[in-house]
Amino acid sequence: MVFTKELEDLVYGIKLSSVGPGRVTGSDVVHDLSGMDIAMKLHYVKVVYFFSSQAAQGLNLTRFKEATFDCFCDFYYTCGRLRRSESGRPYIKCNDCGARYIEACCDMTIDECLQMKDFYSDLQKLLVSQQVIGPELTFSPPVLIQVTRFKCGGLSVGLSWAHILGDAFTAANFMNRCGQAMARLGSNTPANLQYKSNTQHERSKNPLPLHDEPLSLKWVDPVGDHWIVSNNCRMDTFSFHITASQLATLHSEISGRNRSDQVPIFESICAIIWKCIAKVKLGEETAQARTVTICKKDPRKPSKGVVTNTQIISAVTLDLSVMETDPQRLVTLLVNEAVDERMKMEEVVERDDGVSDFIMYGANLTFVDLEEADLYGFELNGYKPDLVYCTVHGVGDEGAVFVLPAGPKGSGQANGDGGRMVTIIFPESLVPELKAELAKKGLGQGDHDLT
Amino acid sequence: MPPSLPDFSNSVKLKYVKLGYQYLVNHILTLTLLPIMAAIFVEVLRMGPEEILNLWRSLQFDVVQILCCSFLIIFIATFYFMSKPRSIFLVDYACFKPPLTCRVPFATFMEHSRLILKDKPKSVEFQMRILERSGLGEETCLPPAIHYIPPTPNMEAARGEAELVIFSAMDSLFEKTGLKPKDIDILIVNCSLFSPTPSLSAMVINKYKLRSNTKSFNLSGMGCSAGLISIDLARDLLQVHPNSNAVIVSTEIITPNYYQGNERAMLLPNCLFRMGGAAILLTNRRSERRQAKYRLVHVVRTHKGADDKAYRCVFEEEDKEGNVGISLSKDLMAIAGEALKSNITTIGPLVLPASEQLLFLLTLIGRKIFNPKWKPYIPDFRQAFEHFCIHAGGRAVIDELQKNLQLSAEHVEASRMTLHRFGNTSSSSLWYELSYIEAKGRMKKGDRVWQIAFGSGFKCNSAVWKCNRTIKTAIDGQGPWADCIDRYPVHIPEVVKL
Repeated sequence: MVFTKELEDLVYGIKLSSVGPGRVTGSDVVHDLSGMDIAMKLHYVKVVYFFSSQAAQGLNLTRFKEATFDCFCDFYYTCGRLRRSESGRPYIKCNDCGARYIEACCDMTIDECLQMKDFYSDLQKLLVSQQVIGPELTFSPPVLIQVTRFKCGGLSVGLSWAHILGDAFTAANFMNRCGQAMARLGSNTPANLQYKSNTQHERSKNPLPLHDEPLSLKWVDPVGDHWIVSNNCRMDTFSFHITASQLATLHSEISGRNRSDQVPIFESICAIIWKCIAKVKLGEETAQARTVTICKKDPRKPSKGVVTNTQIISAVTLDLSVMETDPQRLVTLLVNEAVDERMKMEEVVERDDGVSDFIMYGANLTFVDLEEADLYGFELNGYKPDLVYCTVHGVGDEGAVFVLPAGPKGSGQANGDGGRMVTIIFPESLVPELKAELAKKGLGQGDHDLT
Repeated sequence: MPPSLPDFSNSVKLKYVKLGYQYLVNHILTLTLLPIMAAIFVEVLRMGPEEILNLWRSLQFDVVQILCCSFLIIFIATFYFMSKPRSIFLVDYACFKPPLTCRVPFATFMEHSRLILKDKPKSVEFQMRILERSGLGEETCLPPAIHYIPPTPNMEAARGEAELVIFSAMDSLFEKTGLKPKDIDILIVNCSLFSPTPSLSAMVINKYKLRSNTKSFNLSGMGCSAGLISIDLARDLLQVHPNSNAVIVSTEIITPNYYQGNERAMLLPNCLFRMGGAAILLTNRRSERRQAKYRLVHVVRTHKGADDKAYRCVFEEEDKEGNVGISLSKDLMAIAGEALKSNITTIGPLVLPASEQLLFLLTLIGRKIFNPKWKPYIPDFRQAFEHFCIHAGGRAVIDELQKNLQLSAEHVEASRMTLHRFGNTSSSSLWYELSYIEAKGRMKKGDRVWQIAFGSGFKCNSAVWKCNRTIKTAIDGQGPWADCIDRYPVHIPEVVKL
């Protein structure tokens, strides 16, 4: 990542330290990784929380650190370091090494930052650590937390969470626990957290006959111990809000005559964006080009407690060309014909005991539904964050679309309540065209009105 | 097998012989007095009451003579009681318990080390090898400034650490003893490597608003044995000032002294020294006799600084790049052994029972006169003490002393476990060890404790305490070990696999 000199200087005063569990985990404690975890090893969840000066006022960073120590007592597996067994399968040795904690300052106010043209492509990368695991596995922290103080008194908390530890839902859950631990620091009520190890996950020892390979997983060239994949083309990131009224417009556009139909919001957004992308990208001959991956929260897995990679990953393939399919049909397909690929993915990973390298995000165009992730549940001093931005680092060439809630529920903000925030990671060369297509649909013009 | 049986019975016979000898020599006075008293009693019985009365009347006593005799007796008695040194009692003490956020697991220490010394892999290797064999555990603590990569040791952080450690320990002490700040007559603070102006003792006086006529002392530069030097100073002061309380604060502030270079001999302290402190309340008030935990019996100080090698063996200096660090020489253990021998020679006659002293004297005479090749007799100090607190300077120190004094694993358990849980906390480690013994419920009334500390200079200081009342763990024996005493003792492997 090469930043311009001015950009780099915006965030300064970097101080590094480590936070770990307050309690001794014990010697020789090991956390085994499931096949799903290992499939995700080249991806990193990044979440940035922005808090206004009111929320940050009187916030003692020492107390925040203490709360993190408290939280890590339950999430001790995230404080370990990766090792490889004799077969080459990675696992986590829970040696209490800890997460990296970064303190920084920025000379702009939060609003000025968010209004900058290249905020989503470049500046936000300075607010959350871009460090990946490797080249030395044993000394790479899988979790990095950055706290940046702004000129206006506000602050941002940037969490970099290796996908091997869990998905975005797990990461959000962890931060929410930190916020709760901070509120609890005065009182001594313990957190009743049940740690569910994923070791009981079904692991097929004898390889089952392969029906077909999962569409959502793509092999990449071996990356050894440096867990990041390099793209064939430069990827760019941009974000925009969709207000509640824009959603209503979309709804009417899709449902057409049958206005009474309940059209799910996420799938509608996906359908529209898919069509725009299809217009921009060339070549729809192969079935692979007409396939998308969908990631959603698994409603059956408990939201409390510690769980790892449990999101539902499914794939949809169209028989016809996307451009010729009408939005309503697309939505129906996305809802009804998405095939859960997790079992197949696990089989493939287990076949060589987790040694091969894969990517999931960006293997096909990936749509990630983060509406159910309680991203606004992380509170400081009783205040919810003004804005939460969530994305994944290490997305492949096909790109990814993330749909997040635009604000905390009941916030009454201009772009909150009922709206959505959409982040798209896409090949840089095609981004201007994509933006134009989206504008034709009435989306993406709300780029700079984030207050 | 036949050969072993005679050995066994021989050793049993030897044991009984030894026991008999010890009993005989240690109670010689009683044993000689008893027959004499019995003889007199028999004689009196034989004489009968009338003869005794006659004997009494035949003695003619003058009034003047009687008065003179009684005055003489009263005068001698008063003189004896007045010139007897005041008894010094240790009412209670409190050890600083570091917060969880200061915890440094091995893995974190090594990772930080690699990031800070990234172009010196050999130094990193060295630190790893030291840590593996150090005997430290995963819960030792370093001050917040040292947790940064690279560490940020400035004066403010050092003061911050001093305030954290000293004020916590003092607050704990006030709570345990019910002492009021205005009742402190003497205040002694010892911290070897951090000596700001105004001094740390002034900092304590400022924080707790002590009286303006409090006698305060600040000892710096005196190394890990400064704790016992403070005790000695307090004892001398309490002889001069009647009815007084003395508070001693022993600590070592690590923040300003974390070595930032890569000279190996100087990296060693980084691996071993950890955050810690203790506050102790001593008094000579008779009203405290009942509640006090210990009575101070002896303090013996030995200084080997006259020898150049001993003087230079723990030396603070700058390395080639200008980083200040403490350099430990290779003959540290040998010099420590010498200093210990010196100290034992002085303390032996004060504490050993007559049986041991006699044996030692006989062997000494024998070696000098008859045959120099006789093995020198090492007195059995287990006869003189129930508990041993050896300064947790490092695993090597404890091993060496265990060998020299022929102590069992249980005797050195307090020292080893303190090293494991808290690391080398310098002058306050003796108090953590004492706390461990109390927390285990092993301290009974009448038990004698021997505290030995080594320090730069090279010094070896000892203090002997006698337990005044059995210490109940539930009430006042817990302290810094409260939440982890059940996990101890732990087995500490020779080399920990990192």
